[in-house]
Amino acid sequence: MSEDTLGSAPPPPPVTPPTPVTRKWHGPSLVWLVPIVALAVGVALLIRAVLSTGPQVTIDFHSANGLRPGKTEVRYKEVVVGRVEAVTLSEKRDHVQATVRLDRSVSNIAVEDTRFWVVRPRIDTAGVSGIETLFSGAYIGVDAGESTKQRRHFTGLENPPFVLRGEPGRGFVLRTDDLGSLDVGSPILYKRNRVGRVVGYNLDPLIDELSVQIFIEAPYDKLVNPQTRFWNASGVEVSLNSSGLRVDTQTLASVISGGISFERPQGTQGLPPASDGTRFNLFPDRKAALAPPDGPPLRVRMVFDQSVRGLDIDAPVDFLGIDIGVIKAVRLDYDGKRKRFPVEVEAEIYPTRLGAVRNSLRQEGDDETRRDTTLLQRLVQSGLRAQARTGNLLTGQMYVALDFPGKVSKAELDTSTAIPAIPTVPGTLADVQPQIAEIVAKVNKVPFDEIGRNLNETLSQANKAISQLRPEAQASLAEVRRTLQSVQETLQRADRSLFDPSAPIQRNAEQTLVDLQRAAQSLRVLTDYLQRHPESLLRGKPDDAKIPASPASPERR
Amino acid sequence: MSEASSLQTGSQMRLYGCPTCGRVSQLLHAVPDGTFLQCPRCATPLYHERPRSLQRTWAYLIAATVLYIPANLLPIMSTSNVFGETLHTILGGIEELRTGGDWLLAVIVFIASIAVPLLKIGALLVLVITAQRRSRWKQVERAQLYRMIEAVGHWSMLDVFVVVLLVGTIRFGPLGGVMPQPGLLAFGAVVVLTMLAAGSFDPRLIWPEEKDDTRHP
Repeated sequence: MSEDTLGSAPPPPPVTPPTPVTRKWHGPSLVWLVPIVALAVGVALLIRAVLSTGPQVTIDFHSANGLRPGKTEVRYKEVVVGRVEAVTLSEKRDHVQATVRLDRSVSNIAVEDTRFWVVRPRIDTAGVSGIETLFSGAYIGVDAGESTKQRRHFTGLENPPFVLRGEPGRGFVLRTDDLGSLDVGSPILYKRNRVGRVVGYNLDPLIDELSVQIFIEAPYDKLVNPQTRFWNASGVEVSLNSSGLRVDTQTLASVISGGISFERPQGTQGLPPASDGTRFNLFPDRKAALAPPDGPPLRVRMVFDQSVRGLDIDAPVDFLGIDIGVIKAVRLDYDGKRKRFPVEVEAEIYPTRLGAVRNSLRQEGDDETRRDTTLLQRLVQSGLRAQARTGNLLTGQMYVALDFPGKVSKAELDTSTAIPAIPTVPGTLADVQPQIAEIVAKVNKVPFDEIGRNLNETLSQANKAISQLRPEAQASLAEVRRTLQSVQETLQRADRSLFDPSAPIQRNAEQTLVDLQRAAQSLRVLTDYLQRHPESLLRGKPDDAKIPASPASPERR
Repeated sequence: MSEASSLQTGSQMRLYGCPTCGRVSQLLHAVPDGTFLQCPRCATPLYHERPRSLQRTWAYLIAATVLYIPANLLPIMSTSNVFGETLHTILGGIEELRTGGDWLLAVIVFIASIAVPLLKIGALLVLVITAQRRSRWKQVERAQLYRMIEAVGHWSMLDVFVVVLLVGTIRFGPLGGVMPQPGLLAFGAVVVLTMLAAGSFDPRLIWPEEKDDTRHP
């Protein structure tokens, strides 16, 4: 508004003055309370925030896989105790460094022997672990240490630690040549109960041996004593050998993931528990584990002059039916002198398995191997021979039998080489086979075709002959019949003339017999008289005694 | 204005306009210290320069500045789901948006939540300091600045509204949800305090006059 317009305007009406009111408050404005309160609140908030944050630690990892700054949590026993603030590369760029802010409540967790690791979803033999991290992302797990020395820089583990601190139980080490399907987390079974787990394994390239670290949870760790036997119970065991097919299964979990079983041999239950970290051998199966301990093996050779198809590595060597060793190698050799290809079989036998035999037959000596060789020598002298036999006709599996086959030529244990060679005899089947082959060959030589043809001809000729003969034969048969009839008639006639009661022959015969009877009678009378009067032969017959006249009997002479 | 013979302002003419009922009254004689004037019609306090305006502005401004620190350092909200709780600070949220490739949103959030409060505090500081020194420097621009601050004031509550909305809508019970965190309180307080500061600042202080003997500040 310009002054002109104001000036031209009529003068304003008189205005009433405002009412003055006495002010009551003379000090500084109450509004200063606001920043004071704000300051108090702000400081309180900040102090609270600062108080709730604990120490900051750095952890080295090989890779930042799954680590997200500001997101990834640090969990101790599934309780969030911190958070990753930053992930950076180390100066040498060979690993990553995670900066972690721990909560105030666990500020005492950052000590010398605390361990950190990243929990990511893992699918391993112990099952699926960390599955929740599929959605929530990885987190850093903590195993609190017990040291009192504070520490701010850690090197993270690449895998979760196998044994958490304070977990009751004991760790042991198993030596093995073959891991089988074992892996970290595989169960340790006792009577098919899970009592522990495999916590790690490492291969020592220097001694070429696998060490498997296991952990047995309390209270089962007391079951392990120095005599306990561990064996690899990795799932299904299908063994097909000369003793047939055998399927052995463990619990389903160990079928899938493998596992280790252990057992205490009979009579060792009372032993005190083994100490932490004891080393044991891991046997391939239960049978091997519970077998009495074998001493040092003795290597022997056997040279066979036959095919050893079916004789596999690890096939048994048996001595009179007792399993005393295994086949270790089968090699083909060439014998230039005889132009043959002998098969050289190398085996390991365990003389200890001979038991009492060994003790009674062995001679004294210091060197174990030498003594066993001498023992073998004596056995060979008394007729021991190796023989490759078929153990299973279905599968053709073979084994080597050490036996005393009666008729053998004399032989000696060949100790010219480092490995003694046991003399062999051909296998039973190997004996039979050529004979059968010979028979078959002979049978093959028989000219069946020709014989058949000849036979056929003969038969046809016979046929012809018979057909020609037939009318003559009929005629002659009729003749024969007639002849027979006449013979019959003749006989009838003879009957009548000879045996009929009225036949003259009969009558004559009767007459003759009557005469004979009479003659016999008069002879008897004569002999009777001679007995009574033998002198009559000399003097003759005395005169008849004078007797009163009596009617004389008619003379008989 | 030494030669302000022409009366241009109410204080020079000792006229008081009542902001409530529009009644104009004129002070005819000096009043003692420690009293203030009321509209004779509706008893609304009357003054030419708001009493203690600078004091109050200072107080609010200091409070706002103090709280600005925890507002930005502390998380303003926490989102929780089955797998745990995540805390979000304003800067963290902007960083997440930026790394997520949402440049535009990041810029918007940055402007609304960080730049504007900061600029408000800065501008108010400028206004208060110049007013205190009764400076005559760039008065028109300062007046514009003041109006801008007034206009922009309540938009800074954007974040507070967003969080409050989220807290109200995202409720999945144990499965998840959003909870306000202490930073949000501080942030809201900063916004409110800057508005109060702007409100308590008397724009007439931008136009200082020669001291007249009628009043003592």
